[in-house]
Amino acid sequence: MDYSKQIQDIAAKLFTDGKIDVFVGYRMNGFDDNQVPAVITDPKEVSTLVFTEKSVFNLSNYLKADHTRNKRVGLVVKGCDSRSLNLLLTESQVKRDKLYIIGIACEGVVDDKGQKVQNCMECIIPDAVVYDEILGTPKGKKDYIVNADIKALAEKGLVERREYFEEIFENCIRCNACRNSCPLCYCTKCCIDQETATIYNGSNTSSSAFHALMTWSLHLAGRCVDCRNCEKACPSHLPLHLLHKQNEKVIFGNFQNHLAGVEEGDRGAFYKYSLKDPDDFIM
Amino acid sequence: MEAEVKDKIVSIEKPELVAPPDWKPVIMGILCNWCSYAGSDLTGTSRMQYPPNIRIIRVPCSSRVDPWFIIKALQTTADGVLISGCHPGDCHYISGNYYARRRFLVTKELLKMVGFHEHRVQYSWVSAAEGAKFAQVVKKVTEDVVKLGPLHLYKKENFSK
Repeated sequence: MDYSKQIQDIAAKLFTDGKIDVFVGYRMNGFDDNQVPAVITDPKEVSTLVFTEKSVFNLSNYLKADHTRNKRVGLVVKGCDSRSLNLLLTESQVKRDKLYIIGIACEGVVDDKGQKVQNCMECIIPDAVVYDEILGTPKGKKDYIVNADIKALAEKGLVERREYFEEIFENCIRCNACRNSCPLCYCTKCCIDQETATIYNGSNTSSSAFHALMTWSLHLAGRCVDCRNCEKACPSHLPLHLLHKQNEKVIFGNFQNHLAGVEEGDRGAFYKYSLKDPDDFIM
Repeated sequence: MEAEVKDKIVSIEKPELVAPPDWKPVIMGILCNWCSYAGSDLTGTSRMQYPPNIRIIRVPCSSRVDPWFIIKALQTTADGVLISGCHPGDCHYISGNYYARRRFLVTKELLKMVGFHEHRVQYSWVSAAEGAKFAQVVKKVTEDVVKLGPLHLYKKENFSK
């Protein structure tokens, strides 16, 4: 999967045609073979753009930044990224006519060791769902697989699970990198930063981590597209996908196989209902 | 009528924690204005007894209950949470409780995975005419939470001894 040449050509053409002001892609980080996001405004820099299986980040996160706001943007999206972009379009955060989207029929990205990452192994929709032109051959939808970690956790006992998650919350340093790296967390004022309860929530304690991570994952439930930008950003390498995948599993299983951001105009599982939703747990 | 606490109650999620002898469970009740709150009012005016461990908060509709409220209650003081709204189809705002029902299921399953007993957070539909049912529900929730023991959710940092 190497589309560097095609993306450079398309970006150069868009700049000469005057269709875009900014191009958001990937470039090499200059130290090793890993890549970093590149926000390009100068057409001369187009030759630095690359796209290989090391292009891990979700670039739709950069649409909420100041350097792309109210500008015409060219953007590279993989399957999962395009789903989050679809949600941003539905939630009126970006305008479709200001975007030129290069979709990728993704074959999965790899980690530092060259191994395919877990969310690509379990990927359901590898092709971009919203695009102006698509690179690669679309492979279509795959079957839903329940995450292996969630399966393993569900077999453990209550006490064991509690201990496991308590350790996760203790290791959290409350840097909010997960929230800031999430393309769907665009509120200017977040409820987990509320001022009235700084005695609990402002500090770096496991209590505040419990509050922040749980609230964050529940506010993303039914919208999370499993791009795992949060996990890549986490300095403590916490397994944040556990919280999101659990919600995704419950939502897919109970609410008519709902998957976030696949259909245009779909705002998420919590914005609609069915009369047949399970309520046997309610007294 | 207050829930009786026998000696040596341990937290079910953290068996090394033993409740102090004077421990009484605190339950946060979030009730919808139109059905459950009126139902609890009827319980009172009918002179039916129910445990006083519940602290009631009134909200306009059960769909006003953000999962955040539950997390915050568990984080700070509550040992259990009871959320109650109108029966499906009876919502004052026509479909509020259908939306709420989806969120409740996801919240319940997530808390279960993170290591909370499923009886910590309970849900019920209570209409304005069901005063007796409300008393029963509160009694059941209180008994369940007494069996589970104190939550002790990282409280040691916030309220140091």
